[in-house]
Amino acid sequence: MTKIRIGRRAALAGGVAALANPAVVRAQGSGGTANPIKLATLTPLTGAGGPYGPVMAKAAASVVEEVNKAGGVLGRRIVLVSEDDQTNPEAAVRAARKLIDVDKVSAIMGTWASSVTTAVAPLCWESKTFLCTVSGADSITLLPHQGFLIRTQPNSRLQVTRVGEFILSLGAKKAFTMIPQTPFTQSTFDTLNQVLPKGGCTHQSLIYDDKKTTYRTEVDQALRTSPDVILANGYTPDTVVLLKDLYRAGFKGKILGFAYSINQKLVDQVGQPEVVEGVYTFAPSPAEGSGAYEKVKAATGSANPDPYTCQVYDHASLVLMAMASAKAATGEAIKENIRKATVSGGKVVDNAVDGIKEIMAGGKVDYAGASGPCDFDEKGDILDCKFRYDQIKAGKFTLVKIA
Amino acid sequence: MLSYLLFIATIGGIYGLLALSLNLIWGGVGMVNLGLAGFFAVGAYASALLTTVGHGPIAAGWLMALVAGGVAGLVVTLSTTRLRADYLAIVTLGFAEAVRLVAANEIWLTRGTDGISGIPGPWKRALGPDFNAVYFLIVLVALLVVFFLMRRIDRSPYGRALRAIREDAQVAQVAGKPVLRFKTEAFVLSAAIAGLAGALYGHFTSYIAPDMFLPLITIYIFLAVASGGTGRPAGALVGAYVVMTLLESSRFFVEWIPGVTAVQRAALKELLIAVALILVLRLKPSGVLPERIPRARVPPAPRPS
Amino acid sequence: MIILQALVNGIVSGTLLAVPAIGFTAMFAVLRFPNFSVSGVATLGAFAGYLAYGAGLQMAGSLAIAFAVAGVAGLAFDKVAHLPLIKQGALPAAIASIATGLILENVVRLGFGNEPRGYDRPIARDVFLGEIRVSPQQLETMGLALLLMLLVFAALAFTRIGKAMRASADNPELAALKGIRPERIATLASFVGMGLVGVGGMLLGLDSSIDPLTGTRILLSLFAAAVLGGLGSVPGAVLGAFLIGMAEELSVLVVGSQYRAAIGFIAILAVLTLRPRGLLGERAY
Repeated sequence: MTKIRIGRRAALAGGVAALANPAVVRAQGSGGTANPIKLATLTPLTGAGGPYGPVMAKAAASVVEEVNKAGGVLGRRIVLVSEDDQTNPEAAVRAARKLIDVDKVSAIMGTWASSVTTAVAPLCWESKTFLCTVSGADSITLLPHQGFLIRTQPNSRLQVTRVGEFILSLGAKKAFTMIPQTPFTQSTFDTLNQVLPKGGCTHQSLIYDDKKTTYRTEVDQALRTSPDVILANGYTPDTVVLLKDLYRAGFKGKILGFAYSINQKLVDQVGQPEVVEGVYTFAPSPAEGSGAYEKVKAATGSANPDPYTCQVYDHASLVLMAMASAKAATGEAIKENIRKATVSGGKVVDNAVDGIKEIMAGGKVDYAGASGPCDFDEKGDILDCKFRYDQIKAGKFTLVKIA
Repeated sequence: MLSYLLFIATIGGIYGLLALSLNLIWGGVGMVNLGLAGFFAVGAYASALLTTVGHGPIAAGWLMALVAGGVAGLVVTLSTTRLRADYLAIVTLGFAEAVRLVAANEIWLTRGTDGISGIPGPWKRALGPDFNAVYFLIVLVALLVVFFLMRRIDRSPYGRALRAIREDAQVAQVAGKPVLRFKTEAFVLSAAIAGLAGALYGHFTSYIAPDMFLPLITIYIFLAVASGGTGRPAGALVGAYVVMTLLESSRFFVEWIPGVTAVQRAALKELLIAVALILVLRLKPSGVLPERIPRARVPPAPRPS
Repeated sequence: MIILQALVNGIVSGTLLAVPAIGFTAMFAVLRFPNFSVSGVATLGAFAGYLAYGAGLQMAGSLAIAFAVAGVAGLAFDKVAHLPLIKQGALPAAIASIATGLILENVVRLGFGNEPRGYDRPIARDVFLGEIRVSPQQLETMGLALLLMLLVFAALAFTRIGKAMRASADNPELAALKGIRPERIATLASFVGMGLVGVGGMLLGLDSSIDPLTGTRILLSLFAAAVLGGLGSVPGAVLGAFLIGMAEELSVLVVGSQYRAAIGFIAILAVLTLRPRGLLGERAY
């Protein structure tokens, strides 16, 4: 029964494409596009990750569009399929199956929730499809992925270590972490409990429910320990509420949060600069004045694109350059060549179009991404990463340092 | 394409088990279980833990899932069978959320939001790429066994007693049926089947996490049972595949809507599912395969002589 | 002291929760099915109020818009989707209402995307009453909620239509005999009930933020409140909302708020085991 449906739909789809979509017809006329390269984004468009996924898909689409404008890769056009993972591994697995078996994509990019990435990863390595993720849980790169996975997000241990060091640099003596239950929660506690005492700072923490509409009692709990720094470690929707409640409670200490959560949207949404005045944010980062970062700004229309968006921009760029290096578009080819897009000593490029051009001309490239240098170790973890510290001043993010 | 269809057919089969589970109590006794996702989770976790942490054989995991699902069902019914259906709906919804919270927060037991990965599949290494086909057959066998069991119940005096309770519990009580016991038994059996479905799911995809057991899946199963026809096991089975087809084909369908963003497409997809459920309930309340109530034989009236 | 503070916080959030809980339970009293679409309607109300407030309307006006939009949408769905199914029993109607809730959530998502939005409302520091910290804004929101509740109670107690509603909820047959038209009562219950749910969504959103999942986030607390007090009982919903609000805040001190949703569940299980019809029973008033 299912088969008949697919048949009819495919016929219908083909008909619609031929009749109603002049763009496709035109593209086919220009040659070399009969057999497009297929890539996919699998980002959360509904569910808890909903605030992040849409702009991520947009960033990947902007890379694909630019490369297509410049003639594609290996003389072939690129088609990007965007599916919704619903922030739910069950739905994500079905979507990934469709992407792998029906669309036959060579790479899936942008999986966000760690649970989604862990669920989708076996499908990818079994079918030799390449997977690029932004999930931070330490366990992900430890999966037996045979090289079919890279992650642009530094793992949570590395990130939290840097956060801890930054908290110490603020001169903190009593730090308090407020965090919902996520795959990073335990490793955040463990890491901070290690790092902070070394610098003479005590650490206490509280797990909160990210669906609550007020955190007054949680804030009371935290303030009872009279902390001088609070790490607000949730996602945007709950962090908005938390920051407002910290302000109401008259918290005078310093607040620090991740840039994926405390972003321009959060500042706009709070609407009142005093509430977020002085809040520090933290993100894995490219070098200052990175061209790729500027391109993400332009592509997404955001003055302060979040790290996930930057990372997905890099996923698409890296994958396309890897294909150019491999002279092939399979997942296997991407796996073998992904690290050739960031060869030290190669020509430094900040976008896929220039990179592909250089590679096709026989040169080596060193892609400087929007999220950082994008060098990976053999497990697929990011090797070296700078972090960017901003502080909100009068509603604007101002750079403190990149280190 | 074939492996995709095989995959979808397998997941469809697991939905089919859930639909049979729901049909037993909704169609059978007229009770409602909005916590289906919770029992699904209990089974999935029981089996995954037994086979990963406990290194037990997979078959033992499945057995464990049946038992754990049933026990969870017993716990829920003991305090709720006396309740009216509308209370039960709300309590079971809360139950599913409580299960999800335990799975997310009791890290020592469930590995928390990281989930459990590397759940073994039967003969997975030996089978290689044929694993999906073999697993489909396993699910199919489980589905058919449960299906025939359900049909048997449906047509037995026991099934008639359940239906009598559905139509009017008071009358059934007066007629001497132990209503409370019947309801509990049906609910426990139903929960056990949902638990088995969870185990089958976990060993198929090799990974489970709390995020999987959100209420949305319960909604899908209600759509399955409603569209297939409440009160008839075959209806539940057909309904599960109708829903799976709808879920998957809507992916392709929304790709052809021009001028919408990715989020809007995703929203339209969910809208489509919800509208379908309402249309089915409104226009075809008895489903594709309406319930057939076996008539009790009435002795022929004596002819007037 | 921290316990007292948590109780005060609980009373504040309980008051806000009481508004949609009254709406939900009042609808149940008359229409006799649990309407799960309250999650979507609360979100819709919050967004309608957000648009009105953004367009320059005052708080009262925005709340009125939230009420009206949510009321009309809720009424429309009741007429088209839920009530025609009630002939087959409460369950099909309840299940249809899960679907309509999902429809509303996604309609909002279609229009507004997933980004959280906030009412452009000044955020003030808390003031201290003795050693108890309260937010002037939350007091204001709480005042609005209390005022609304008083209006509802007054309407039920003193107006002809309110009395008719109560009569109809207590005994539809008898009410019909007395010439009360059940159709009209049902329409009114849908509209007012859902209007309150919409206002509740907005009140809860005022101090936090709103997105397509706003209503879903409060759904379990709302149900727990209504069930705890006795489905269909308006004073019960208020009592239930206060109890749930306080229990949820106290739970932060005891088990941590990650188990908040389970608190509601355990509370209703406990109460229903002892009193299957809730604390105040099911009399509408």
